[in-house]
Amino acid sequence: MEIIKKKDRDVAHPYIPELQNLFQKGKITRREFLRNATLLGMSAAAATTFLAGCKTEEPVEEAPAEEEVVEEAPAEEEEVVEEEAAPCVKRGGTWTASMQLQLLDHPARLSWVEGANIVRQTNEYLTLTGSDNITHPYLLEKWEASEDVKTWDLYLRKGVLFNNGDELTADDVMFTIGEWLNPDVGSSMLGLMSYLSGMQDVEKVDDYHIKLHLQFGDIAVPEHLFHYPAVILHRDFDGDIIKQPIGTGAFTLEEYAEGERAVFQRREDYWQMGCDGEPLPYLDKLVYVSTDKDAGLAALQSGQVDALYDPRPTDFQALQGVDGLTIRPASTAQCLLGRMRVDLEPWDDVRVRNALKKCQDRAKILQLAYFGEGDLSLDAHVAPVHPAYCEKDIPEYDPEGAKALLEEYAAEKGLELPLKVSLATKNDQAEPAIAQTLKELAEPAGFEIELDITEPSGYWDRWTEVDLGITSWTHRPLATMVLPLAYTEESIGAWNETRWFDEEFEGILREAQGTLDVEARRSLMCKIEDIMQERGPVFNSFWKSVWNVTASKFQNVEAHPTAYDLLYEVWIDE
Amino acid sequence: MARFILRSIISTIVTMLLVSIALFVLIEVGSGDITVKILGVFATPEQRASYRAQLGLDAPVWQRYIDWLIGNDWRAKRKVGYPLVTATNPQTGEKDWYADVDGQLTRWKMEEGRLITLKRQEDGSVTSHLSSGAWKINEEGNEYFWGVDTKNNTVMWMRGEGAEVWALTKAGLRKEGDGPQKYIPLRKGLLRGDPGISLQYGRPVAVTLIPRIRNTLVLAGVAFAVIMPLALFLGILAGINEGKPLDRFISITSLGATATPEFVTGIFLILIFGIWLKWLPAVALFTSADAIFENPKLLALPVLTLTAVELGYIARMTRASMVEVMESDYIRTAIIKGMPKTRIILKHAIRNALMAPITIIMLHVNWLVGGLVVVEVIFGYPGLGYYIYKSAIFGDFNAIEAAAMVTVAIAIITRLLGDLAYTLLNPRIRYS
Repeated sequence: MEIIKKKDRDVAHPYIPELQNLFQKGKITRREFLRNATLLGMSAAAATTFLAGCKTEEPVEEAPAEEEVVEEAPAEEEEVVEEEAAPCVKRGGTWTASMQLQLLDHPARLSWVEGANIVRQTNEYLTLTGSDNITHPYLLEKWEASEDVKTWDLYLRKGVLFNNGDELTADDVMFTIGEWLNPDVGSSMLGLMSYLSGMQDVEKVDDYHIKLHLQFGDIAVPEHLFHYPAVILHRDFDGDIIKQPIGTGAFTLEEYAEGERAVFQRREDYWQMGCDGEPLPYLDKLVYVSTDKDAGLAALQSGQVDALYDPRPTDFQALQGVDGLTIRPASTAQCLLGRMRVDLEPWDDVRVRNALKKCQDRAKILQLAYFGEGDLSLDAHVAPVHPAYCEKDIPEYDPEGAKALLEEYAAEKGLELPLKVSLATKNDQAEPAIAQTLKELAEPAGFEIELDITEPSGYWDRWTEVDLGITSWTHRPLATMVLPLAYTEESIGAWNETRWFDEEFEGILREAQGTLDVEARRSLMCKIEDIMQERGPVFNSFWKSVWNVTASKFQNVEAHPTAYDLLYEVWIDE
Repeated sequence: MARFILRSIISTIVTMLLVSIALFVLIEVGSGDITVKILGVFATPEQRASYRAQLGLDAPVWQRYIDWLIGNDWRAKRKVGYPLVTATNPQTGEKDWYADVDGQLTRWKMEEGRLITLKRQEDGSVTSHLSSGAWKINEEGNEYFWGVDTKNNTVMWMRGEGAEVWALTKAGLRKEGDGPQKYIPLRKGLLRGDPGISLQYGRPVAVTLIPRIRNTLVLAGVAFAVIMPLALFLGILAGINEGKPLDRFISITSLGATATPEFVTGIFLILIFGIWLKWLPAVALFTSADAIFENPKLLALPVLTLTAVELGYIARMTRASMVEVMESDYIRTAIIKGMPKTRIILKHAIRNALMAPITIIMLHVNWLVGGLVVVEVIFGYPGLGYYIYKSAIFGDFNAIEAAAMVTVAIAIITRLLGDLAYTLLNPRIRYS
């Protein structure tokens, strides 16, 4: 915790020199340095410059580090400082995509990512959680958090213009936060930012500086500022972004017809510069056409569209090997989580829970249920893409071990094996395949699993009630954003579908929620993962991958874990 | 003839009324709880009940039918005591309802148990006043007030008894106190040009439906123009060459094409011409509202698919009819008389042979307009069939009713045109 100190705003975060030190000693890579520095509120460009600066100052010690730089350079993304005058990109062209378009009015009210992909072309966020799942300042120059993570200073970037010519100031941000916190608007930001009791907790210090006074500490403020309804609106916004598409984004909205299409044109005076020194974006025009997924698939195969929103696993299969398309997978924290009600027999006994956990042949389940497209998982709701993930060995398939546990339990209870249980889930995506595979895998261990598979709405009617089930959970950038939703005492009755809570676990989780430093949080996560594996209520074989499928001529395309279209720096190389 | 047309129009209107009633009943019986679709499966029964009341679904079905047909502002007016009028909202461009209180556009809202009058000024801004004296007293001695709320409903508030209502926002349902006890969602009714709001898009049905009707008419029109002459030509050709290789070829090919379902034909055409050869656009992608006019090639594969399905059917019908006519006595007489063969076919055979195909063709026009769901889905074509399908899945009753009225109207008009075509083909047929 000592690393989060309030500092003079011109000086970098106190931990950054230490990071620099680690980097120079070769203990961390350049990439890790950038990850951590940006997590601490430094902009990526500043971090890169900082790194460049420290190299020239201490040339003697940096030999090992330099190798790292060379090695890591190709993996590094777009924000590296521009170098030569020769045109580094080609400008112009149109990007067309297939994506369903629904009714869209107030961005703060968004409840679907497709709509967010529309507004993010005209409006921008204060922060950006990139494809690497790391959050950077964006419309912010930087942020600073107090030691108790209860006071957050947001420093706004200067010189950002709206597409109506007005400059972005703290007034716009104050207005937007006011919309989030106004119950009449009905934004999901209101629940997310429950640490703000109202606009009295939001203080405008000057035109480019806003202070948030949180009722209780939360490290996820930067991530929340990139939650998809959180685009910054103009201070005169009236409630309908289609009628009034004023934003700081790189495109302007030309047409929006729900169920039909959305058309955007390039803006000339956008604030970010491309690598050729001219304003972004590189593309001239974006067109989203609202079609069925199947028609979108055919359109992509024939080259009529350049991208398909959030391809399903079957689409991914169909699109493999199609000429002219590039598939970029992205790891996510989306999962199909097996969960056991710890207040009901037999799952109240930790041996039974652990026996079922041991019945997972994770690689096989991933292969059969999701074409092998994902990352293997521990039995903890923390994914490798979460910044503070603590790496541990993936447990092996162990039917004998499971059987031993079950026999012990059965002997104690005077039961006969096999133990009959019912596994409920929904007929959606990969759940039935997981359930079927698990049924087969668990048989040698002495489980007799009966499958209870209903339509999705049927499962959602009872997802918190079934004693054994498979529930789909969406991606959240931080583990500390998801764990309090389902594994605490107070979440029973809401999203705690297993009724499991654990004093030690909760204590560590609270500490992690107040720990900004990634390394310190990682050591807490190690404990959290251990507890969940040892006595937790969930099992999980894999974290789903998602795919971005885009025509190969498009460069700089990013596969985002939540299917966000980040198109400002995309360009066409025929 | 004039009487025949008049009678047809009257029967059209009666048919449309009957269809609309039947549909209303069907939706009532079959579509389940629309609020589940709108609010999602996580909504509680109280939330659903509150939202049903806000949609006016707690009224009996005959009442809702009348509201749908001729509106309910005249009914609500009696409750409010002032004329109800609409004014265009400058922000959305859509109509908002107001009570016309002595020339002043007025709405009301309740806040913390107090009634507040909202007066719309000339420039569109709103002034609000506290209005405590407006309450009326009913038989039980409770104070109540009927007014127009800010969401285009006529509502009844009870003083001191604000109902808890669940308001739908994009982020979910929100509980509001101070809610009204009764709702009448204001509408003008279909006969007065207001098909209502589409529940799935939240926009007036007219706005979303009209582009779909246009797209569908274009597709149906082009398909019709391609299929009918070709089918008739091939059918006649086969008919006059009965039993010859040409006839066999036409008959077998057209039977094969017709026997293949349109989703198979469509997918094969997409795979061959769209994805493999890349000659034609695989799907009808509307990158602008007028895409089919800017790039008519978009229509090629959908029209080809429809041709494959329809061509054989009509061609075979024409062929059979032609064969029958060619074997009739008067044709034989004409041949014996020594008339040139072309003259016999063109002057005498075709007119009589066309009676049966015309019936089939006219029945199929209606299918081309409203029934192309499969073709529209495969090609991503934003047409009427798919619109009806999605509305039906959602239970968007306003949209289904309006779209169904369009297809019923088209069905009846094409039948009328078919009847007129008979009289042209066979002067012996007279309608009177």
